[in-house]
Amino acid sequence: MTQFNFGKWFGTRAISILVALIFCFLLDKFMQGADKSYGRFLMSLAGIYVTLAVSLNLINGITGQFSIGHAAFYQIGAYTGAVLAANKFSALAASKPLLWLLLSALFGAIAAGLAGLVVGIPSLRLKGDYLAVVTLGIGEIVTIIAKNQKSLGEAYGLSTAKIESIFLISLLAITCIAVCRNLLKSAHGLAFLAVREDEVASAAMGVNLTRIKVTAFVIGSAFAGAAGALYAHTKAFVSPPDFSMDVSFLILTMVVLGGTGSITGTTIAAVVLFLIPEKMRDLPYVQMGTPLGVAIGIIVAVVLLRKIQESFHGAGSVRLARNIGSVGSGAVVAFIMAKLLVMVPAFQGQINGALFRMPVLAITLVVLMLLRPQGIFGHHEFSWSWVQKLLGKKAPETEVAV
Amino acid sequence: MSDLISLNLAGLDFTTLPQQLVNGFLLGAIYALVALGYTMVYGVLKLINFAHGEVFMLGSYGAMFASWMLGFGPGGAAVAGSWVTLLLMLLMAMLVSGVSGFIIERFAYRPIRNHPRIASLITAIGLSLLLQYGGQAFLLEGKKQAITSKVNPFADDFVFTPKKADASLIEQAAKIQPEVDAAQRAFDEQMKNEKSKFELSPEGDRLNKVLATAIAKRDDLKNQADTSSVTIRLPKGKLIMLATTIMLMIGLWYLVMKTRMGRAMRAVSVDFNASSLMGINLNTVITFTFILGSVLAGAGAMMYSTFQSAPIDPFSGTAPGVKAFVAAVLGGIGNIPGAVVGALLMGVAENLVTWAGYSSYRDAIAFVILIAVLLFKPGGLLGSNKVEKV
Repeated sequence: MTQFNFGKWFGTRAISILVALIFCFLLDKFMQGADKSYGRFLMSLAGIYVTLAVSLNLINGITGQFSIGHAAFYQIGAYTGAVLAANKFSALAASKPLLWLLLSALFGAIAAGLAGLVVGIPSLRLKGDYLAVVTLGIGEIVTIIAKNQKSLGEAYGLSTAKIESIFLISLLAITCIAVCRNLLKSAHGLAFLAVREDEVASAAMGVNLTRIKVTAFVIGSAFAGAAGALYAHTKAFVSPPDFSMDVSFLILTMVVLGGTGSITGTTIAAVVLFLIPEKMRDLPYVQMGTPLGVAIGIIVAVVLLRKIQESFHGAGSVRLARNIGSVGSGAVVAFIMAKLLVMVPAFQGQINGALFRMPVLAITLVVLMLLRPQGIFGHHEFSWSWVQKLLGKKAPETEVAV
Repeated sequence: MSDLISLNLAGLDFTTLPQQLVNGFLLGAIYALVALGYTMVYGVLKLINFAHGEVFMLGSYGAMFASWMLGFGPGGAAVAGSWVTLLLMLLMAMLVSGVSGFIIERFAYRPIRNHPRIASLITAIGLSLLLQYGGQAFLLEGKKQAITSKVNPFADDFVFTPKKADASLIEQAAKIQPEVDAAQRAFDEQMKNEKSKFELSPEGDRLNKVLATAIAKRDDLKNQADTSSVTIRLPKGKLIMLATTIMLMIGLWYLVMKTRMGRAMRAVSVDFNASSLMGINLNTVITFTFILGSVLAGAGAMMYSTFQSAPIDPFSGTAPGVKAFVAAVLGGIGNIPGAVVGALLMGVAENLVTWAGYSSYRDAIAFVILIAVLLFKPGGLLGSNKVEKV
């Protein structure tokens, strides 16, 4: 870094913000229309899940604290938005919906951030497994309280004003990604990474462990809360099952699949993992032999891939060919076994295909841990130098390994 | 939050407290069997086996299918069970759980044993989800099932009455009885002249009201007499359950403290690497620990679904699993007597919450206890607060 150029610094930021705003605006305009209501719903939820996953990635991936109760903060935000819109701010929600939506996201973020602070300060003293269990417990406690409070609609849920805005949702997702990315480029961000890599060593280097962990937890929770408030208004209804343990696990799977620590990976995984179960909702009934055959195929592929990982030390291209070969043979076995098993009378019972939404997530998690525990992207990020390298140019400078 | 905070002490019925404590103790005995699995696996591998609750769930399915095979299924012919039925169900549940514990360890945990701990934790979560939702797809379409109470021939209770009912109240109730009888007779006489019960003449209506007030007065006194007494009912089945649990725990104690394999387990839990240098086969010890824990969970599952009549579905392992885990942490995870103590406390705590009128919060109490323990005494009640070495 030679000299600080304020004009360039400011210009880059102003242009980025402008581009983001225009992009969100165009996206919103493009998705208008009565015939696109389902697409709009899908896109809103995808944006919300990107926010959730990237904010959890800040806690789990970047700071290395293993939280599996992210849905609690999502729920706190959603209920804050829903309750306020139904009581104190109903007039504002009716007259100026967009302004209210912005405020609602803000309130949701504040509420969830405060909750994150209250939860984080004592529990972040715990390590690894224990922190996981405590966050899991907090997720459950929040759901149980919502289920038993009259003012929160008990198990039936709460309805609230319906305000859809792809503009705000995508803006929130982009803000979340930008905050995390910029954090990583700053000196503070390096402290976060240091905590992930080695707590003792970073404490010895003068990093305030508790402050870093709590900061990450509060920022992550606040984004989840904002996403929750937007979700409440997108769906116009909140009920406890929307924030169950399964949702926490879904978000966790997104982070783990994308690569713990990689914002790019998490974003892509969030969109993919949200859309796959959503599309699986309308799967037809299948015969019991088919999923069993597929399961056998997956096992064959995993066993072959692990054998290659363990024992093969050859050229990259040969390795890639073998990997593709294993996946292919797994697919062939799956196809043949599915066809064969369906002929057996015991496996001809009908099963609702939609029931396989969660098993797919679970199998993804287990297989991923067996084959690539660091996630698909590992710690890598998308960057322009990476694109240049793909196009055959040499990278201009070495980046900080993120 | 108002209804959460306003604890009404006057509304508590202290005469039912002893019964609830006994129920809690019996429930805690089952949690103890499950908690032992968590604590032993943690002791050896330092891994929270999230799939342990699902092993429990599979065990209860094993017990249920065994009862179906013996003719207690839907449309089955069998009428009443005997101790042989119960024993066969217990063995089947232990077998199913043991085999599933073995498979989980061999094919999911062993391949990633050298990866970072978070990887095994995520695998455990993934397995737990897979078994729950896979069960929903494959096990009887995930519908709620239950083991019929016909398998249990020991359904009658031992009744203890530490405090007798207030004699004066009973006397008063007895004094009112002739009054009730008279009113009943008068009303019956009048009924002969009436068209039907629902179209009474003014005279019949008056007699009817007199009868109703007399009955209400007597029942009120009887209720007061009942609540003034303290009764404890102990179903014989649950006593057998308690005896079985105690026998299993004695067996476990013998296994861990007196055999070569138990000594190897203790060695591994003290120092993983050093014990392998001393010639202990780690794979054998770990597999054995998993099977042992799973078998105990299976026994617990059979008793939970038979004697506590808990419904069975693919998600029914989660709640007992979580509570048993909390029990293990409460007692000090990795500590075998601690797990038993913690589990008994958990069972009692859960019944006390129900007794205080917050039965909808009975699943939350586990997490509240867990968080409190981790914040104030992370080592647990009987565990040691180890300082982490750099």
